[in-house]
Amino acid sequence: MTIRPDDRLLDAPMQPLTCRRCGAGVQVRKASWHQTSVQWNADATGTCQERRTAGAGVFAGCAALRDSIVQAALDGEIAVPEES
Amino acid sequence: MTAVEAGNDDIRRIEAEAVPTRFARGWHCLGLSEKFKDGKPHTVKAFGQKLVVFQSGDGKLNVLDAYCRHMGGDLSQGEIKGDEIACPFHDWRWGGDGRCKKIPYSRRVPLRARTASWVTMDQDGLLFVWNDPEGNPPPPEVTIPRMEGATRDDWTDWVWTETVVHTNCREVVDNVVDMAHFFYVHYSFPTYFKNIFEGHVATQIMKGTGRQDTRPPAKDGEPKLLGNDSVASYHGPSFMIDELTYHYDTMDINSVLINAHYPIDANSFVLHSGIIVQRTDTLPGPAADEMARKMSSFILKGFDQDVQIWKNKARIDNPLLCEEDGPVYQLRRWYEQFYVDVADVRPEMVERFEFELDTTRPVEAWKREVEENLARKAAELSASTGRPA
Ligand code: FES
Ligand SMILES: [Fe+2]
Repeated sequence: MTIRPDDRLLDAPMQPLTCRRCGAGVQVRKASWHQTSVQWNADATGTCQERRTAGAGVFAGCAALRDSIVQAALDGEIAVPEES
Repeated sequence: MTAVEAGNDDIRRIEAEAVPTRFARGWHCLGLSEKFKDGKPHTVKAFGQKLVVFQSGDGKLNVLDAYCRHMGGDLSQGEIKGDEIACPFHDWRWGGDGRCKKIPYSRRVPLRARTASWVTMDQDGLLFVWNDPEGNPPPPEVTIPRMEGATRDDWTDWVWTETVVHTNCREVVDNVVDMAHFFYVHYSFPTYFKNIFEGHVATQIMKGTGRQDTRPPAKDGEPKLLGNDSVASYHGPSFMIDELTYHYDTMDINSVLINAHYPIDANSFVLHSGIIVQRTDTLPGPAADEMARKMSSFILKGFDQDVQIWKNKARIDNPLLCEEDGPVYQLRRWYEQFYVDVADVRPEMVERFEFELDTTRPVEAWKREVEENLARKAAELSASTGRPA
């Protein structure tokens, strides 16, 4: 099967963001204040401190990265579409 | 490609390539292993073939291509003799490793007397087979995690169901990301939802409350359902373990749900549901069994609702998504890794991707913080420049 791109990214692409704690570089997108997408790559998963020290099982996410994204959104560095 | 090119009008066309003729690489669950331990060979139609499952004298469960390489007899109609399955046609004996061990009427087994065999795993009361079109054994890191409760006395036994569904199995996998369908099809209301795809694991984390409009309020004295917490992961293409906790005002109920399938062929699959529930002081022996049965029938109802949709819907490779939909394309990108050779798995198929919806903080609170932020910055600016903002 062909891998198809998500058309929603055409209107609002993922934006680069660096974690303020560990410097991991990821791609971020917010469709609203409530919604956040994060695309990691191998470098980022290797860099993330919380990821490296996490135990077995699902790694639900990095709190420091989450805070960095929230701050970037509040500062207007990551776009958040206006909700009507 | 059977894709229909969009013309110069504005009508959105549904596109769908032919369903893949290849079957996913990975562990697939064939159901409760007990079922295969009755001393008889079993016929299983899977991966576009007919398989025989049999327990050899040493207790091991084996899976072979059902068709005897001698003259094509159906081994699943044969008999287990010691460690081998004996063909009903001329009694050739086949071992679990796929090799012919003995031909009762011949002094020598011919060279090349080897048939297709699948690697099996009998774990937590379930039988798994490893399918790999390239014929490699499972890498050690690609495994099905143990489920503690499955073998513990303070948990119920499995309540297990199997249903044949006549559509391609991608439909059931799509559910991992389909937030909106939980509301419309299953009447639950997620307040928090997250998908994580990484490596061969795809996860769905959900916290929710039942929709008040679709269930009767609890009667006096009955425990009141407050909400539920669920962490569900597909370990590979077909086996999902869901750790589900129901929160009541008086207790928590811990359960493990299995949602698994194996393809019969490109256009049908067997859908399994399994459940175990933890026994507690407030939910002792029989009450837990009863709860497991109830939850099982509730899950089956959910499956029925899904099946109704699947039976009538179109396969669609280019779903038209709104911003409130989940990451369907990213999930399918992850899923694709199981349909290509290992050498062709690209980083984008396995790299970590997260999609989160968290509605616990109202939008107004966010907006207020942005305004405060702006006001503070303006104040700082005016302080540093000495000019009013
Ligand atoms: S076909 Fe199986 S023994 Fe002859
Ligand atoms: Fe569903």
